[in-house]
Amino acid sequence: MFQFMLGMFIIGSAASCRKELPQINQPERYIAGNFSEAFEAYWNGMNNNYIFWDIDPTNWDDVYKKYQPLFAKMNINDSTDVRKSYTYFKEMTSQLVDSHYALQINSSYVKDSIPYISPADLRHQKQPGYHGNINPNFFYSSIPPKYLDPGYIKGFVNFPEGGQFFAISGKIKNNILYLHFNSFKLNTVLNSTTPNNAQKVLKYYFDQLKSTPNLKGLILDVRSNGGGALADLDLLVGSLTDKAYVIGATRSKGGMGRLDYTPWIPASVHPAKEAKAFTAPIVVLADLNSVSMAEMTTMALKALPTNNATFVGERTWGGNGPLLGNDDFYNGGQFTTGFLKLVYTSTLMLRYKDGKIYEGLGFPPDVEVKYNKAALDAGTDPQLEKAISLIPQ
Amino acid sequence: MKKTCLLLFLCIIAGTLTLHAQWSVGLEAGYNKNYPFTNTGFRAFTEYKPMEGFNIGVPVKYTLNNWFGVQADPQFIRKSYQMVRSGFFDGVYQKNINNYIQLPLMAHFTFGGQKIKGFFNLGGYAGYWASSHIKGTQLDVFSQSYELPDDFQSKRYLDFKPGYNYDEKYEFDKRKDRRIELGLLTGAGISYQLKPRYELFAEGRYYRALTDQQKDYMLNQIPRYNDTFTIQVGCMYRLGK
Repeated sequence: MFQFMLGMFIIGSAASCRKELPQINQPERYIAGNFSEAFEAYWNGMNNNYIFWDIDPTNWDDVYKKYQPLFAKMNINDSTDVRKSYTYFKEMTSQLVDSHYALQINSSYVKDSIPYISPADLRHQKQPGYHGNINPNFFYSSIPPKYLDPGYIKGFVNFPEGGQFFAISGKIKNNILYLHFNSFKLNTVLNSTTPNNAQKVLKYYFDQLKSTPNLKGLILDVRSNGGGALADLDLLVGSLTDKAYVIGATRSKGGMGRLDYTPWIPASVHPAKEAKAFTAPIVVLADLNSVSMAEMTTMALKALPTNNATFVGERTWGGNGPLLGNDDFYNGGQFTTGFLKLVYTSTLMLRYKDGKIYEGLGFPPDVEVKYNKAALDAGTDPQLEKAISLIPQ
Repeated sequence: MKKTCLLLFLCIIAGTLTLHAQWSVGLEAGYNKNYPFTNTGFRAFTEYKPMEGFNIGVPVKYTLNNWFGVQADPQFIRKSYQMVRSGFFDGVYQKNINNYIQLPLMAHFTFGGQKIKGFFNLGGYAGYWASSHIKGTQLDVFSQSYELPDDFQSKRYLDFKPGYNYDEKYEFDKRKDRRIELGLLTGAGISYQLKPRYELFAEGRYYRALTDQQKDYMLNQIPRYNDTFTIQVGCMYRLGK
């Protein structure tokens, strides 16, 4: 009987040998009344929502072990500690591969002087050859008279919520169609019920693309373009193809675990209405400050089934994971905490059709032409000139 | 005293060996329902649900006396579960169909009459997660929106855009997936002596995994255990004289 009882005891003990299910709370629900809570909210939000753990070099467990005790010692109502936390956040995030990533701190002690922490920004700034955006005026005022045929068209529109969209389009040598725009709000501008000059530019571009016979080539200029709406991909690139095609694949979170993912889902470009395959050479101009949709557009053009696109310029920024404002859609991505106004991070991971993930690396050009400040200051554009030279007459 | 008791117990069993010891081999098959013991943390509109599966095995029993034996059931067993989304995300799901090769080893206790007997099993098992298949529908951010009237009011996201349907082999991730499963089992059933050498049986069995399906690869990890309830029937054939 004793052996039987012992056996039952051992079996009973073994049966209870399961780990407990931890209670993991939504980062938004933490009461950020102290730094311990603020840290837990942020660390757990990242632990469960960040999409790139599969490829990220950051050891997030080590981050917890190192910084949790440091945050626990600080006072959230002490301005010195709040500023110190800024340094800690900067250190913790410095190697994150997500190049959309930005932290916005809510505290009035830092928010005026330090609007956000962007690890990719800090990394790029340390690299040789780093440069900021090309001055919008260069696109708007210098390129058209120097490189475009008379009859070019340009315009801008200011949005009520802030921000400005501008676009320039025209012909070069009468048979190369050129388009530059500063952000991907193409559908918004094109379908606006309030007529504006930027809308006229886009209408001109799409009309010329459809109606100009014997176009020798196309130059799409997404340099210093910060990205925008993914829906613009089918409008812009879809106007150059008559059939849907795959540019790569995306995946999202498939559970709470860092390595819980959905399968790779093909990412496709769909032809725009009545679009025909554009078979003449296409040159896409992109640079270090081409981010997000500007990078995806470059990739999509390079993946065209007609295989007629050349990428001229510089390696892009490296932030090409699609991003949504609500983390419920794909069970991952950006979130907020009481202390952090926004943890801005990608929702999906993008893998290009060659099987590589260019997040944090940037998409490389076929023909590298570096940013040349002196040339730009002198009113010339070596990158555009190279693009023009690649289109045979 | 304890040693004496244990010695006496072994002697009783040994004494009955020559009289009753016999091998039986058989075939069993069953239906199961696997419940993942886990949770979805703070994920909204997301839930893990159980899924049906089946098992097929070759039970081998060594009967020591008329009330006690040892049984092993090398078997194939499917322990599946699904993650389902609800509300605006209705229609998004993933079925994880997990195939295990498993070896349950148990003490087999018999009671009752000559023809119809009752029995219960108690033991443990070791399993190997041999393969996995995933099937489901996910939101596809790149898919083309349907052409809908301006005043269209959708009840779910998939009314706007088609999702991505898939049915494919799951590629194991060495960093995350623990493919060895250990656990306990208990079962109870009845058997019917059809002929002197043939015995039919029906059994309900519960497998309780004690190992997480995931390796310990992150802090604050939510474990995932299998709880599998099976109903099975089978037939045993007695070997020897």
